[in-house]
Amino acid sequence: MHATIRWIRADLRTRPGQAVLSVSVVAGVVTALILATTMLAGAMDPWKSVFARSHGAHVWIHARPGTNLSSLSDMSGVTGVSGPFQTAVATAVHEGQRAPLELRAMGSELPEVGRPVLAKGRWLDPARPDGVVLERTLARTLRAGVGDSLSVRGLDGRRYDLPVAGIADASDQGPYPSVTPGIAWVLPGVMNSIEPKTASTELLVGLKLSDPSASSFFVQHVVTVLGGDHVDRVSTWQQARASMETDSRLLGLLMGMFGVVALIAAALAIGNATGGRILSLLQDIALLKALGFTPAQIRRMLLLEQTCLGIAGVVAGSVLGSVLTDSSLSQRLFGSVTGVAAAPLSFGRLALIAIATLLAVVVATLLPAWRGSRVSPTSTVTAEPPSGRLSRFARVALLVRLPPALVLGARDAFTRRMRAAITVGGLAIPMVMVTIALGCWSTLDNFEDHPEQIGLAGALVAHPVGLIPYEASAVIAADKDVTAVYPEVQMDALLPGQTRTIQARALGTSKRPYPFPVQEGRMYAKPGEAVAGQGLLDLLQVHVGDRVRLTIGGAPVIVHIVGRTIEPSLSGEVLSFGMDTLDQAVRTTPSPSYRIVLRHGASVETARKRLLSESQDRLDIQAAQNPAQRLFVVRVVIFGLVIVLALICVANLLTAASVGLRDHMRDIVVLRAMGLTPRQVTTTLVSGTSVLALIAVIAGIGGGLAMSTRLIDLQGRTSGVGAGIGRAPSVLELVVAAVVALALAALMAFMLARKATNIDVREVSRF
Amino acid sequence: MRSVLLALLAKESAHGYELKQALEQTFGPAYPSPNIGQIYVTLGRLEKDGLVRGEDVTQSNRPNKRVYELTPAGREAVAEWLDARSEGPRLRSEFFTKLALVPLTGAADRMTLINRQRRHCLNLMRGLSQPGQPAQGGNPIASLLVEGARLHLQADLEWLERCQEALT
Amino acid sequence: MSPAEKPAPDAAMIRTKDLVKVHHSDGTDVHAIRGIDLLVHPGEFVAVMGPSGSGKSTVLHLLAGLVPATSGEIWLRGSRLSDLTEAERAVLRRRHIGVVFQFFNLISNMSVADNVELPALLAGANPKQARERREYLLEELGLSDRADASPARLSGGQQQRVALARALANEPSLLLADEPTGNLDSTNTRDVVRLLEQVHDQGQTILLVTHDARVASAADRVISLFDGMIVDDADVRPPSDNKNAIGSILDL
Repeated sequence: MHATIRWIRADLRTRPGQAVLSVSVVAGVVTALILATTMLAGAMDPWKSVFARSHGAHVWIHARPGTNLSSLSDMSGVTGVSGPFQTAVATAVHEGQRAPLELRAMGSELPEVGRPVLAKGRWLDPARPDGVVLERTLARTLRAGVGDSLSVRGLDGRRYDLPVAGIADASDQGPYPSVTPGIAWVLPGVMNSIEPKTASTELLVGLKLSDPSASSFFVQHVVTVLGGDHVDRVSTWQQARASMETDSRLLGLLMGMFGVVALIAAALAIGNATGGRILSLLQDIALLKALGFTPAQIRRMLLLEQTCLGIAGVVAGSVLGSVLTDSSLSQRLFGSVTGVAAAPLSFGRLALIAIATLLAVVVATLLPAWRGSRVSPTSTVTAEPPSGRLSRFARVALLVRLPPALVLGARDAFTRRMRAAITVGGLAIPMVMVTIALGCWSTLDNFEDHPEQIGLAGALVAHPVGLIPYEASAVIAADKDVTAVYPEVQMDALLPGQTRTIQARALGTSKRPYPFPVQEGRMYAKPGEAVAGQGLLDLLQVHVGDRVRLTIGGAPVIVHIVGRTIEPSLSGEVLSFGMDTLDQAVRTTPSPSYRIVLRHGASVETARKRLLSESQDRLDIQAAQNPAQRLFVVRVVIFGLVIVLALICVANLLTAASVGLRDHMRDIVVLRAMGLTPRQVTTTLVSGTSVLALIAVIAGIGGGLAMSTRLIDLQGRTSGVGAGIGRAPSVLELVVAAVVALALAALMAFMLARKATNIDVREVSRF
Repeated sequence: MRSVLLALLAKESAHGYELKQALEQTFGPAYPSPNIGQIYVTLGRLEKDGLVRGEDVTQSNRPNKRVYELTPAGREAVAEWLDARSEGPRLRSEFFTKLALVPLTGAADRMTLINRQRRHCLNLMRGLSQPGQPAQGGNPIASLLVEGARLHLQADLEWLERCQEALT
Repeated sequence: MSPAEKPAPDAAMIRTKDLVKVHHSDGTDVHAIRGIDLLVHPGEFVAVMGPSGSGKSTVLHLLAGLVPATSGEIWLRGSRLSDLTEAERAVLRRRHIGVVFQFFNLISNMSVADNVELPALLAGANPKQARERREYLLEELGLSDRADASPARLSGGQQQRVALARALANEPSLLLADEPTGNLDSTNTRDVVRLLEQVHDQGQTILLVTHDARVASAADRVISLFDGMIVDDADVRPPSDNKNAIGSILDL
């Protein structure tokens, strides 16, 4: 053991560069994985941490005022009850932004079950009875902070200025404005003054279940017990979770893939590096065996050394990763995107990452270590490349009369087939990932450049405030940048079986339908026809062409689903049809809002401001939420992970180039003696590495292109948005990526080759 | 011996015993202790040939000693000796003859002959590298002489290997 | 093998019986060793000579257990090598055998001191003992001031002296040297030979392979190999008939 440790110490001391390289690769991977996992944990399932901290209820029921809810707590399977709380609808206005509110009356004491999780400021306090606590995503959209004064307008139009006391997270509903109305908590007294009419209020009760998976069945039971006409709305924890997830599933998928790919690429890089190291140590290993090291000792020694480096890397990576995820910057990034704070990584997950990475290191070391231990102790010559024959590739190169230096390089590239394969693999896999990342990037670009392709042709949404519909549409249509206006009414629809509400949306008319991006089937063309998002089709387990029955505004409606659209909001659980369909079904349609399509290239913000002034503030106009904005963090992540992958690639290339160099040390002397100029020698070495890099880049981009669009569409499908969003990366981006990769490879090889051509002949002739 | 004594006298005149000492000093143990009688005999012959001239010097309480100096003819002889080509490498011609003829006699085989010769060479070599020998320092002339001898033996041994490869 | 033929463990340092080694290369068999019977007693200094290709180095590699014999047996201090696994042979080497090669004797990434201490540590000495042994050996070889140098910074002669120190670090019963002066000039060769003679005088058993008669003549016994077989096995002693051997060289 003393001897083993002595050797490892000496080896680390004499080759600190290689050791640092190994540690950095491992540290980089661990950091990347920690970042990815933290984001995954925080972004993919923000609901979970909030739910746990809020002692959340599994089912929430909005009931008509006066409903007797006391029977609920006695139902079997109910382990806890939150509320009932009185709720009322109101509108909040802050800095020109309007938001529909659900006011919830809660006492100064937080309830045991389903308690809001205070993120900033203080909870409601009878000492300051007019305080309001806002849900975090609502506060963010309104740009309201603790201490601000918030204008709240009741149904009767009276205005109340309430100071914001705090900001809290709720686990029962997704982020505003994807899910409306936003939540605001007030004391019962405030509630009574804003909405004195009890008939206009609702009762909200949350139930904690002993068997959360049975929530769907339970809801049906509750509706039966209370009577269908007493229940306005029900929601389950699955819905809340799904609505929080929608933002981040793509993110999660990306991160997961990046993590795995980074691990594989790192394993290859480590394998390559270890293999190269061991190759350079064959002489010493042979001698160690002659001294009396057993093969098992050699294996243990190499494994121990690599594992130590691996552990150092894991520790460094863990520290770096934790610092990065704890930093206020990343916290802000998370908070702004996901609406909740990212929970720091649990110890178990951290340990999992550490163990997985170490395992990768060990696996990557095993093969070279085993081969090293089998070296004959009498092999006193350096390991020769197994074949000096020209590869077929090189012969072709010779035939087409390439310069001899290039041919020699091409030959060199393949003399060690296994290593060539590892090098190509180690480069190609990250290239696949980079291509996929670029695909995501251009998909996001496409979201922004062509919002109409994801159902966001109407860049603005206008709610008339004190304007009758005819006037409103006239005012809007008169604007110079407006090319089309479509009336829109959004209503909750109860699904067959009455366990879920979904959004039914009347938008446009059968004669003049809104330009939905229809991916399958066709656009609705007459009353009774509708188009749906993928999420709804999956939820109802129906296909385009089927008919579904649902209840809109208390009236039963049967619609014929004739097409599937890309539907970026509400997990795609949206049914869209013409206003005429709604008019036929419902006796009194609520007054519509308007989707406004702007001239291509017009500034959304300018148009919004101008419309506001043109309507003399009698329109509430908001920009439609583009998922690309929410997915901005994807770009950050893509950028960061591409850099990590690039670093791993560099490590890999460095190893490949230095191994190639070592293989040809003696050749180099002979080549120089034969009369190759230093430049030709350099060309030989650089072309050897570049040929491998070229193959890897071509394979990687090819593989990436084959997967990218399909993967993104698969992601679109599972997230409910629907297939058809994926875009291939632009040729320019791919060319840039390929050129950068090749240039990096050539640069690495060039730097090492420069060193090699200056080698003292005496030094080399000792080999 | 004649040329050696002439060369020693070229520097300065000396008597027989001085010449013996000079010989010892120059060659050290590489030269077997020169016999004083032989020196006197040789000097006598050189004088007879007119290459040196002897002159008796009387000494108190000791026998007269005879001091020799070079004659012009002697000086010429020294120059001639130094000018003459020295003999080139010598093969152990006697051994080679034996090796060539041994199959005809049927009395022994070549391998035996070669082995015996090798042992002889090795023993000689061992003798040259005994502790206390001039190879360990001291007189540089003697060291060089021993080194030369060892290299010759080394060459002989290698030649024996070639004989072995070629003839057995 | 009958018990009578089996040598007593203490009788011989090395004993081989009908040792054969066939190398396979490029599809043809090369008979490197064709039946060698050898007996070396403790304290002997044996030189193995022979033209290149005669199998000298192969014999040494076989004796060190570095390569397996094709047939025949080797006993080292009474243990039959063919009975041992590769790992057991490695353990035997680290305890009882010191090896010096012509080239690449030193582990390139370790300092001179580490190189010399390594075998002692491997044989189970604690770091303090290993250091003391190293200090003693390097002092003996006049290399104390180079202890922290990297092997690449040493001259060929210094490297071979360090190699010798390394081979002696575990106080082996048997020192095997394969052309230890092969690439040295005559001054360095003399230094190394003198060292070998010194350790031999202290009772070290040495088996050395060389093509250099000057080195071989330092041994008590010279074995001549030819074409994979022993053709001569002779004790070497200075000529007894002439007390002053050197005196006979110069014929005036």
